[in-house]
Amino acid sequence: MEPEQFQETFQRLETEVQKVIVGHGDLIRKVLIAFFAGGHVLLEGVPGLGKTLLVKSLSHALGMSFKRIQFTPDLMPSDIVGTEVLTENIGRREFQFKKGPIFAHVVLADEINRATPKTQSAVLEAMEERQVTVFGESHILESPFMVLATQNPIELEGTYPLPEAQLDRFFFKLLVTSPTPAELREILKRTTGTESDDATKVLPEDSGKLVNEMNQLLRQVMIAPPIEDYVVRLVHATQNDAQNGGQPNGYVKQYIRFGSSPRGAQSVILGAKGNALIEGRVHVSYTDVEKIIYPALRHRLILNFQAEAENVTADQVIAEVIKQVPKN
Amino acid sequence: MQVTSRFQDRDRPENLVSRLIAQLSHHALWDSVLIYLPPALASIYIITSLSQAAWLSELTAILIIAGAIGCGLLAVMLRYRPLIPGVSSAAQLVDQRAGAQDHFLTMATIEQAHCSESFMARLRHETASFGERVELKRDFPYKLKRSAFWSVGFSLLAVILMHVLVSLVEPGVRSLPVHQRLRGLAEQMAQKPGLNRLAQDLKALAAKLEDPKIPREEKQTLAQEMEKKVVEQQKKEEQQENRDLLSEAASTMKGVEQEQSASGQDQQKDQQKGSGGIQSNLPQKGQGDSKQSQGGDGESKSDSSAQPSKDMQKGNSAQGNPKEPGQDKNQQSADAKGNEPDPKQPRNDQSKEKTGKSEGASKEGAGKNQASEEPPQGAPPAERFYKTGEGKEGIRGARYVTVQLPEEVAADAKGESRAAKESKGIRARPQVPVSNAPLPAHVPNAPTEKQQVPIEYRSIIR
Repeated sequence: MEPEQFQETFQRLETEVQKVIVGHGDLIRKVLIAFFAGGHVLLEGVPGLGKTLLVKSLSHALGMSFKRIQFTPDLMPSDIVGTEVLTENIGRREFQFKKGPIFAHVVLADEINRATPKTQSAVLEAMEERQVTVFGESHILESPFMVLATQNPIELEGTYPLPEAQLDRFFFKLLVTSPTPAELREILKRTTGTESDDATKVLPEDSGKLVNEMNQLLRQVMIAPPIEDYVVRLVHATQNDAQNGGQPNGYVKQYIRFGSSPRGAQSVILGAKGNALIEGRVHVSYTDVEKIIYPALRHRLILNFQAEAENVTADQVIAEVIKQVPKN
Repeated sequence: MQVTSRFQDRDRPENLVSRLIAQLSHHALWDSVLIYLPPALASIYIITSLSQAAWLSELTAILIIAGAIGCGLLAVMLRYRPLIPGVSSAAQLVDQRAGAQDHFLTMATIEQAHCSESFMARLRHETASFGERVELKRDFPYKLKRSAFWSVGFSLLAVILMHVLVSLVEPGVRSLPVHQRLRGLAEQMAQKPGLNRLAQDLKALAAKLEDPKIPREEKQTLAQEMEKKVVEQQKKEEQQENRDLLSEAASTMKGVEQEQSASGQDQQKDQQKGSGGIQSNLPQKGQGDSKQSQGGDGESKSDSSAQPSKDMQKGNSAQGNPKEPGQDKNQQSADAKGNEPDPKQPRNDQSKEKTGKSEGASKEGAGKNQASEEPPQGAPPAERFYKTGEGKEGIRGARYVTVQLPEEVAADAKGESRAAKESKGIRARPQVPVSNAPLPAHVPNAPTEKQQVPIEYRSIIR
């Protein structure tokens, strides 16, 4: 596959999803980057902003299998991964594994923070290992596999915030913002009339192979050692003295309890590579890194009480880190 | 074919970065040199000037100049090395100039062996197209830094300050000796028709000034006579050029007079040092005061030191033994007698304030002692002859002299200790002059004064 082919496919997908979703161009792009980089995305936003619709449209455009799991407090792990069911076949009774909704290419974990930690952790193995283990037997998930989880940041009563270990497994955390007045007008026009537009399938039948090829191409994108060093310095700068034993900058020391893990740096570089390919380049530039670092690191920075008290967000901390870390 | 490949090699994007590094290194070298060269040149100039003015020996000057050059080179190297740009910095500069979004950075720094060939070829092609936008000489010209201007400014300031300080410290420094200046003037005057005779006189005077056998007094007299001649000629002269020449000659003659008188005083001081000499707070008035130094040499046995002695307590001055005036006149007093008092010589203001008579005495003529400074002779006078403020205990406001004997001067020069001096029989004396002014009366066992009881209480308190 050539970079131009990648770019063309990507743009077609973007266009198809944007037929259904008004606005959120950057959000769609980043979801697609995460998909082709082989990562999972956590979407955070208040209800009614089109999170579920976005995921549905994406799966339609990709032409891949799509499952939705509505996370509730009484949801059990077996409801997600599946379970052994006693079946009778030609006079013989035997246990047969019945696959759960996790066995799909694109899985929407809606309101993931409403389920108990036990259920949430059932998704962990699937996200990282791309397999599930039921009664000691491992079942491989189909490739490509992507979990798109959503969570509501305001209705925190009766919720179980995702543990850091699970948060770290998400490639990006994307914030779904409210539409602008123009976008809202367009949304109303599309949804309250008689005509509705659905995303059409972009990828061919054997789309799994194509997605894997695109994933390999993305990983071939070149990154200069100085840019790699820059990413390392950025991620290192988010860590406080307890983590790295070095000298953190004042801002980090003031507001961050724990900084980014190495997975954060991996996400930044893979995301930057995807961004470079979309922009028609075969090498990563500093601007790619600066565009990707926010969604890649914002859920990996654990802020302290002072930051919460002062309403300091992870994005503000990242912006400060970018300011303070030199490029050379 | 070879030429073409060389051109192709030159145009490769990686080479553009390396060529930029070389160019920026040259710029950095120039920056460093321009910062440190002006101070180095200024310091060399200053040292050379000081050496020419005989403030520094030639060897010292050469060593300092060599040191300055070495330090300058070291400073240039130390500054130059960190200024050499790295590959990534240079590549980023090209990227910024060409708007190439880190194409050159990736091209210059990435390990090509680990990259996809197709990607690498594509990157090289894109980078080459961006490289066409960049022309190193046009886009990265050398600009003089502000630091270079500051360096030149400070160096010039240092040179100017040096000249100002030298002129302040040594205003009388002249490049040529007096007799040579006189010869030069004589040669100039010889070219003028009306000044031939004066020119000949000046030449003759220059020859006499150069002659060490001719005594200083004679030289001074000759200089005064010549000055008179020059001034007379100046009054007669109508041409402006000749006037200028004559005024220059007159000023030179004044300088000759001053030099002669100054050298006379220097010689006198040297002799004082050589023969022990006297440190006194009395006004220096040439021959008029010369007799006060009679006790300088060979009178160490007498109580002529500044310490309060029995003579002082009786009202005698400490200016030697008054019973033996003129017996041991030293060479210094003899020389001082020969000198005429210089009316232009600045006088000691302190002496003017303290002794009103002394000024008048010095104006009256040379060789006469001042009445107020004359030491008392013979037995102490009767009490009725004391002036107001004087008594048996001494003279109020009496002056002092500190006599330093030749042995002491020699011992001081050798740096001998006090014990060594005493072992040689030299009495230790206080270095600070001690006045013989009488101390206020102090009676330790005197009865305390009793206060009388007020009248109104006398009947109550008994």
